[in-house]
Order: sequence, then C-alpha cells, then structure tokens
Amino acid sequence: MTSTYIHGIGMTKFGRLESSLKELLLEACNEAVKDAGNPKIDAVFVGNFMGGSISNQEILGAIVANELGLGYIPSTKVEGACASGGIAFRQGILGIMSGEYDTVLVAGAEKMKHASTPDVTQAINSAMDTTTTEKMAGLTFPGFFGVLANRYFYETGASKEHLARVALKNRENGVNNPLAQFPKHTSLEEILSARMITDPLGLFDCSPMTDGAAAVVISKKKSPIAVKASSQVSGPTKMQDAIDLLSIPAIGESGRLAYEKAGLGPEDIDVVEIHDCFSMTEIIATEELGFFNRLEGWKAVEEGRTKVDGDKPVNTSGGLLSRGHPIGATGLAQIYQLVRQLRGNAANQLAKNPRLALAQNLGGTGSYSTVHILERV
Amino acid sequence: MKIYSCCEKDSISKRFYCPECRSSEFAEKEVSDDGTVYSYTKIHIAPAEFADIAPYNVVLVDLDEANAKVTTRMEEDVEIGDKVTFDRLEKGAYIYKKVPERVQLH
Ligand SMILES: [Zn+2]
Repeated sequence: MTSTYIHGIGMTKFGRLESSLKELLLEACNEAVKDAGNPKIDAVFVGNFMGGSISNQEILGAIVANELGLGYIPSTKVEGACASGGIAFRQGILGIMSGEYDTVLVAGAEKMKHASTPDVTQAINSAMDTTTTEKMAGLTFPGFFGVLANRYFYETGASKEHLARVALKNRENGVNNPLAQFPKHTSLEEILSARMITDPLGLFDCSPMTDGAAAVVISKKKSPIAVKASSQVSGPTKMQDAIDLLSIPAIGESGRLAYEKAGLGPEDIDVVEIHDCFSMTEIIATEELGFFNRLEGWKAVEEGRTKVDGDKPVNTSGGLLSRGHPIGATGLAQIYQLVRQLRGNAANQLAKNPRLALAQNLGGTGSYSTVHILERV
Repeated sequence: MKIYSCCEKDSISKRFYCPECRSSEFAEKEVSDDGTVYSYTKIHIAPAEFADIAPYNVVLVDLDEANAKVTTRMEEDVEIGDKVTFDRLEKGAYIYKKVPERVQLH
C-alpha cells in the first residue's frame, strides 16, 4: 500500500479578517505549496461548508488550481459540515493511495464574520436533518450539545465548572498561538458568568464564528512526517433516535478504525487535536477516543491531564474554542498544529518531542467523524 | 403519539427503510403522549426562523409507553425526571407541557 507523507503546511490568521474567502484560501494554499518546496501538484481538494449559502461562492477547487497556476488538474470541493476539512484531507490521501496522484494540495476555508449570527446559525442548522420534527421544535446545533451536557451532569459528578476548565485550558493555549482568534487571557469566573448561549453552555463553551483558511501538501514521496492512518465514518443524524445520548458513536468508531489501521492504541498517542466545537464535545471525544474511561473525561479535566504539561495534551493550538472555527478550515488547522508539534516548532511545543499525533474532526451533531494519525519518521 | 416499529426498534419518526431488514412497512401503534424529561436545554441564541420566540426550552422526552424519545419544545422550565405530556402540534413541532403535581400523585 502506498504511504502518504506531509510536505508542506500553510495557515492564515484566524479571526475577523478583511480578506475574502478566495484571498484566505489562496494565502493558505500558497504558503503550503512554498513550504513543500513548490512541487508539481496533481490534484486539489478543498473543504468548505457555507461558501455557497453565505458568500455566494462555489467552484473553490478550480479557483485554487487556476489562481495558483497548477494547470489543467482535477479539483474538488468537499462538504461534510464541520468535518469538511478532515474529509477533504482524507480524499487527498485516498487519491495518493490509489496511485492516481503523486502529490495533492488539500485546503479548507470559511468566511463567516461578515454575516449576522442568526443567518450563520440558520446556515449551520443545515448540518442537521432539517426534515424532522426536532428541527421544527427549534433544536439548534449548539442546543444538541446543551441537551447532552445537562444529561452528562445528571449521570456524572460533572458540573459547569468542568466545562469552564476545558474552555480556560484552550484559551490559555490559544493565547500562545499567534494565529489563534482570541489573544486575551480569561478566568474561570469570567467564563462561568458569561452570557448563556444554550443552557448550560455559555459564550466561552461555544466555538466562535471565524474567518480563516489552512492547507496541506501531501505526497507519496517521503518526508519526515507520515500519515499513519486515515479513517472516516457516518453516524446518527437525529437526537431523538440516539441509542445513547452520552455517546457520539461516529467519534468512537472512527477512532477505533484509525487505531486498528495504525496498529496502535490511545495510550501511544503523544499529542491530540480534538474537535471541541463545544467544551462538552471535547470531554465526550476524549472518552470516545479511549484516552479516558466513559463518563470520566471530566475527571481528567479536573486533574489537568489534558493541559500542555499533562500526560495527554489536547488542543495545544487552542482548539476550536480559542484558535477559532472557520468551519471548512478546521480539519486542516488541526493537521497544521500537529505537524508543527512533530516538527518541534509549534505554539505550546511539547517538551517531550512528540512522535505520534492524532486529529479528530467532527461534522454535524455526530453525522461525520474523521481521525488521522500522524507519525514523525 | 404514534410509534413506528420494526426489528424491535421503536421510533416516533417513520424512517424510509428499516435499517435492519430494509422493509418500508412499519408496525404502527398508538401510545400515551406522557413521558419523562430525559434532558433539556434553554436556547437563548436561536436561528433566524426562531429568533422571535427565544429563549425557549427544547426538551428530550422519554416516552413512558415506548422505547423511544421525542424532541419537544416547552414554555415551562423543567428538570430531568419531570413528568410531561403533549400539549399541541405547532408548525410541525411537538409542544409539551408539565403534568400538574397533583395529577402525578395518582
Ligand atoms: Zn426491520
């Protein structure tokens, strides 16, 4: 089987930006291609969620190929809600594994800050099954995780303070990341007293609206960083039909598949980027990925195990909560941070010289999940 | 509340196909609308189409007479374990209400 290696990475600043969707996308792509040493690119995959609905801009693949002068090569836009970036990355890997391409440029981009919050919330709601009575009841995307959190509190000893500790950790990490959206320190008190978005999730428990882009160049040619495993699964699309509300099976199953492909387990992973669209989601994901026992992820937060100096550092970039969440770019921003960790020059660089890194990217309320495991070789 | 069943799975929504046996024929049965609050959230930041009624409660109700849950909207605040029942259908949404305490005693 053909192995895939990472040759170049690029990422714009995340936040409220003047640049257009196209400008952000091209900036990240150009940086990644330069970082890779300007190789011949055989195909382009772009992860994007709301370019059509919010920016009235599609054909992002062809725009990249044309503006970067990559020639008459195939290019594809990939949509999988918040997992668009992770799925695009996987499509690039599969293209190389199939033998069709030697070198692929994968990018993700989103432009959200120019639109109003109700309009973006509405657009994000398209990541739920909109034909159901639960959508008609007014369930929102964040609302799903609010319902999950209240049940989690009920069944465990966790409280709002544990969610706040996740948000605080990711903010402390984000403050050290020059590309992150939020450069300001905060406190448990400020997080706990912030205005409510969807009870019990307050402002700091929810990932923000963000502009930004990230890109990665992968190839079958060797480099010091290999893609050791790539997995993707689909999961339930409705809250009321969940067999177990406190489990997001797409995350667990994508993790299990990735460990199996890589021939290793959660105990082997040195550094993790998890899809913390909400503080609650990070806790559930650390359980689903096997880092901590089921319904005990909150204890690991309490013990500081997921901090930069903990035994299982999660979201050293600041995560979606503080790095920001330009939807289609997130999956590739995770790869960007992990490559920097493996190269030894990341924001919040781990002292222990990480060798194995895991990225988990979630779409919808558990509709999609991808897991990628990277290895310094 | 109408429940659709196949292969020992109950749901309040009729799926296109049973994921187990691929049949599109579901056994239908009427069960009580009564249920118990499984969990809830109060949505303060709503999408454009619900902005005029925010904040509102979305409540996941475990039906008493079926192995199924239903996502509802409620005007009253609730706690997990509260007894609730169907009030009305409004623009395709199940609106639920609390069962008064004295009725619960029976
Ligand atoms: Zn069946």
